[in-house]
Amino acid sequence: MSAVHQFKDNPCRPRHFKPPPCAPVVPDGPARRALDGGRGRLLVASTAFVLLFAIIAGRLVQVTLFPGAVTVPYIARFHPAPPPPPGRADIIDRHGKLLATTLDSPSLYADPRQITDAAEVARKLVATLPGLDRAQLQVKLKSRKGFVWIKRHLTPDQEYAVNQLGIPGLQFAHEERRVYPYGSLLSHAIGYAGIDDNGLAGIERGLDNQLRGRQEPVQLSIDLRLQYILHEEMQRVFDDFTAKGAAGLIMNVNTGEVLAMVSLPDFDPNHPDMPDPNHPNVPIAQRMFNRVTLGDYEIGSMFKIFTTAMALDCGATTMTGRFDATNPIHIGRFTISDYHGKRRWLSVPEILMYSSNIGEAKIALAVGGVRQQEYLRRFGLLTSPTFELKEIGRPHFPDPAHWREVNVMTIGFGHGISETPLQLASAAAAMVNGGVLRQATLLKLPPDDAPQGRQVISPETSAHMRKLFRLVVQYGTGMMVDAPGYVVGGKTGTANRVIGGRYSADRVRSSFVGAFPMTAPKYLVLVMVDDPHGTKASHGFATAGWTAAPAVGRTIVRIAPLLGVQPVDESSPAVVQALMPVSLQGKRIEAY
Amino acid sequence: MIRLSTLFWLILVSATGFAMFAVKYEVQALADQLAHTSRQADDAERDVRVLDADWAYLNRPDALAAMNQRYLSLLPIATKQLIASVADIPMRPPPPPPVEAAAVVAETTPQRGGSLVPSGPVAAQSPASAPAQQSATPKPIAQSPAPVAAAAVQARAPASEPARPILIKAAARHNPAPRVRSLDALIAQIAESR
Repeated sequence: MSAVHQFKDNPCRPRHFKPPPCAPVVPDGPARRALDGGRGRLLVASTAFVLLFAIIAGRLVQVTLFPGAVTVPYIARFHPAPPPPPGRADIIDRHGKLLATTLDSPSLYADPRQITDAAEVARKLVATLPGLDRAQLQVKLKSRKGFVWIKRHLTPDQEYAVNQLGIPGLQFAHEERRVYPYGSLLSHAIGYAGIDDNGLAGIERGLDNQLRGRQEPVQLSIDLRLQYILHEEMQRVFDDFTAKGAAGLIMNVNTGEVLAMVSLPDFDPNHPDMPDPNHPNVPIAQRMFNRVTLGDYEIGSMFKIFTTAMALDCGATTMTGRFDATNPIHIGRFTISDYHGKRRWLSVPEILMYSSNIGEAKIALAVGGVRQQEYLRRFGLLTSPTFELKEIGRPHFPDPAHWREVNVMTIGFGHGISETPLQLASAAAAMVNGGVLRQATLLKLPPDDAPQGRQVISPETSAHMRKLFRLVVQYGTGMMVDAPGYVVGGKTGTANRVIGGRYSADRVRSSFVGAFPMTAPKYLVLVMVDDPHGTKASHGFATAGWTAAPAVGRTIVRIAPLLGVQPVDESSPAVVQALMPVSLQGKRIEAY
Repeated sequence: MIRLSTLFWLILVSATGFAMFAVKYEVQALADQLAHTSRQADDAERDVRVLDADWAYLNRPDALAAMNQRYLSLLPIATKQLIASVADIPMRPPPPPPVEAAAVVAETTPQRGGSLVPSGPVAAQSPASAPAQQSATPKPIAQSPAPVAAAAVQARAPASEPARPILIKAAARHNPAPRVRSLDALIAQIAESR
């Protein structure tokens, strides 16, 4: 063995000499220890390398065989972040028509520190963008601030024109802008949102939390087609009778969904503070005022349906009951008289048909103050309605503790109590739909899922009310409705307006609530015209029968085909049989 | 031997390297393309929002009403036009047997052009146009030289067949007289008014 060492150390060893293939026996000592340590280190190092290669191999398998997990972050580096979703959800109608949306719009701002010749820049900008004040702009551009708005929400053409000017220091910020394609058609229902995307009126305000920062659109119960028809017919009444205001509503009586809602005069939500080109003198506050939900009005005779319904429901009278309406009632300093008095005893259907104040006051007396209050509360007429809008008025009525006899009588025919058209519509729907009061809503309900509602009068009373509604239109004050085939029933209401604390003799508020088809009511139309003036065509009359009732009739004729209501022969025995009170069958009925 | 394996590995390494860079550049190009496409998609989405709003604006009911008045003069459906529903109109009867059919067609062909004009408004309303044509030509069927064929047609028609001609005539009478008699005339009118 020592020979090997000899040869290795020997510089003269033969060139091809190979030492025997066996490890040299290293005796114990420092060399042996060094060799052992080296082996250990080699083991550690090779284990580390094996581990590293295993990791690389594993990674390779992961990358090649399961691409999804790994490629996404890689791609994400190349994929620009998607633009932030629109800051406000769209609003659509019940058929998906776009009623309000949010669009990108460029806004121009400047960094005055970069602008050298403020006067020149101001001159160029004023020439390019209309509606800028040159002196004011120049002051802005000379300021020492780093940021001033010049004009917000430019059109794409204006953006292009400003870019063409090539002025350094001018920048565009991309902002969002709320757009209402239908303009004033839906002004009060939708309302509007301010420049900073906060809802300021209507649904935009009422459902601000549901709209802000959301993407899924809010679907309203409004039907755009019905809204247009109602708006057109209301505008016609409003203009024809030079009225001060008007409110209209179409409601599904079985669900409480509001299908159309119009309040006149109205505004364009795209420019809520611009004057109306057709009526430049109407103040903005008046146009913003929602007469359907916020205004509360003494509605007059329309209220008689509630008095009659409560009297029939509590058994104070029956369909054959009769009351003496021969002479006016004098109570205290008041005199209750009829507009077109028949001056005789009237039956309950006749009192409603001819809209007798005397008869209705006596019916109210028969009901009594306590029961009257209880029923009105049940009908939701003594509390503010719950609704999606924030513009909600509350009814006004005498203090329940001091509900005197004269109050009972006047409230019986709709004076001395004021209600919003919205809650009148809900309560009137309950009178004809089988007696179930449902909360009005502006949101589309899933089909065949009517809310529970509250039974406020019995189904039998409601059946009587349907017959009475129909009689009013057939023979009574509502004869001008004129919507043959749709079996309309309803009630007029003409209230004297209060002017200077006194009831005016010739200034009125006319309204009509109609439902159709009365055989099984589906839809309700309510129209109120505030302060109409008689015309030649109406022979000088401004009462509900001449103003609101024909408007409701025209509306129903136009909307019924869209709502799928089939016209029927109104003189067919089946319809007559279903809607004529037993006590009047076969009798001649005196027309109003 | 050693040289050969070295050469083999060298070639393999360079081939792998080349392939890797090729793939890398390809991926980079694809990523650029992806970024571009997704930017385009975002732009398109924004454009769609604008176009949706534009479409809604152009479809304002008052604008449509004005256009209708200018070009079409359609009127709202009158109540009396709705007294019969589409369901009342029977389906088109099945075609008569082939041999006799030839005779029937020969008889009806000259009438067909004439029958289209009065039934214009009805045809525009509903699929009633087909029965309208059929019902407007009951005579040729009755006069056809093969009475057997006529009987076959009658027998195959639905039970409500006799009511059909009256219905459609009534509807045609109630319709307002259309100003535009055909689509061609309408197009000509539109072109003229421009």
